[in-house]
Amino acid sequence: MSLVLDHVSYKYSTGTAYEIKALDDVSLTIEDGEFVGIIGHTGSGKSTLVQHLNGLLKATGGRIIYNGQDIYEKNYDLKDLRTQVGIVFQYPEHQLFGTTVYEDVCFGPKNQGLDDKEVALRAFEAIQAVGLPEECCDSSPFELSGGQKRRAAIAGVLAMKPAVLILDEPTAGLDPAGRTEILNLIKDLHEHHGNTIILVSHSMEDVANYVDRIVVMDKGKPLYDGSPKDVFRHYKELELIGLAAPEVTYLMHDLRAAGFPVSPDCTTVAEAKDEILRFLHENLN
Amino acid sequence: MFRDITLGQYYPADSVLHRLDPRVKLMGTLVYIIALFVANNPIAILFITLCLIAVIRLSKVPFSFMVRGLKGIVVLLVVAGVFNLLLTPGETIFSFGIIKISDQGLKNAALMTVRMIYLIIGTSLMTLTTTPNQLTDGLERGLGFLTKVNVPVHEIAMMMSIALRFIPILIDETDKIMKAQMARGACFDSGSVIDRAKAMVPLLVPLFVSAFRRANDLALAMEARCYNGGEGRTKMKPLHYERRDAIAYIGLFLFLAAVIVMGVIL
Repeated sequence: MSLVLDHVSYKYSTGTAYEIKALDDVSLTIEDGEFVGIIGHTGSGKSTLVQHLNGLLKATGGRIIYNGQDIYEKNYDLKDLRTQVGIVFQYPEHQLFGTTVYEDVCFGPKNQGLDDKEVALRAFEAIQAVGLPEECCDSSPFELSGGQKRRAAIAGVLAMKPAVLILDEPTAGLDPAGRTEILNLIKDLHEHHGNTIILVSHSMEDVANYVDRIVVMDKGKPLYDGSPKDVFRHYKELELIGLAAPEVTYLMHDLRAAGFPVSPDCTTVAEAKDEILRFLHENLN
Repeated sequence: MFRDITLGQYYPADSVLHRLDPRVKLMGTLVYIIALFVANNPIAILFITLCLIAVIRLSKVPFSFMVRGLKGIVVLLVVAGVFNLLLTPGETIFSFGIIKISDQGLKNAALMTVRMIYLIIGTSLMTLTTTPNQLTDGLERGLGFLTKVNVPVHEIAMMMSIALRFIPILIDETDKIMKAQMARGACFDSGSVIDRAKAMVPLLVPLFVSAFRRANDLALAMEARCYNGGEGRTKMKPLHYERRDAIAYIGLFLFLAAVIVMGVIL
């Protein structure tokens, strides 16, 4: 049970003067229950990559295998794949259309062909899961605040109960409280519901704090693939492609340079705190 | 999905035709259309053909780009041609049952077809060598005299350029929303006509909302930069005539005169 990309390539506008190679021979395996972060500068192919995972874009080369089946095979049911691999696009609130939030959230499960009872159940469940107050159900999605709209849109995808959930910069444009709430929601889905999560993000702190594995995209290829610790060890190389390491990693490197032999491998504030305390303990005693 | 559509068919190249003032090109297109309809004999058409070939060579735009526009009107061409061929009265030169083809019909059909093909080629030549912005600039300046009779020329030109500017943005937006809804199981390409029309709702509502949002943002941004219409507004790249433009005008005049003379004499 996994999602495998086998030498996937994709070109935009093939055969014209504007041909762009967006993905260049990408091979990746995403196991069930993983929490993967994809980072990369603008135009590195992150969004193109995730749109392949549920068949919205068809690779110009290579294969994608979901649960042992090639999704480009003739009889493969792409609609079914899309209910299992859900994508929350960038600024998902721009896709809201229903007259009420409830109606909008029902759109996905209805398309899955579920009966009315199941649709209603899932819609309420999803609205509750994203933390929208119940009275929002009957209001127009266009009346909600920015953060609430985002949550309503995420609920629209959650209601389909996808096994794999892909989020393309879900926190862009949200205030700090909104960011934490959304990220905690995603973390909860991963921990308590066993969903596979793929998080595309520009925030090094976000990925360091939440994911187990980071894939760094550059020029349509995965440049690094590993745990946050391993990946952020390459912070100098990351800077060259317009990325960076989390702030605390820099702090630890600076401390080291200033003559305090702490491990620079910390990627979250909590880790850094433990490491500094450990160091202080050792040296005070 | 929609990324492959190129709009505003401007073909970037460095030619005299590209550098001409857009007003000259607009006027040229007008003169060319008049000439096409004045020309009513083979010699005049031949003359126009030669001029057209010369201008196409000057433009450095591959010929294949010009005939692209023809694909859209093939049906129209065939229908118009057939009607002209069959329904024009005159001396019958060929008959088969109730089908009668007259000499006049043959002539009309040929002339009509050639005119329409030339019309498309000529006008695409203008849009291929002029960016949409230049075009609206040219229209604004060229029709500037209409402000005297209270036609809001600047506003219309501004609306045109904004509309043109927004087409690729909205296409992009449509693509995004379509994908987002497909990810939620929407299906845009199957089912009955009614099903398909219904399937458009989740696409059109967000699209309209976003169009209004963008329009609102743009209006705010324009106001923030003190835009208040055409009065006293200067241009970053003001249009002014060069020597080549004067030469082009003379050429146009001679061209039209020659076609008229050919039409009258022959």
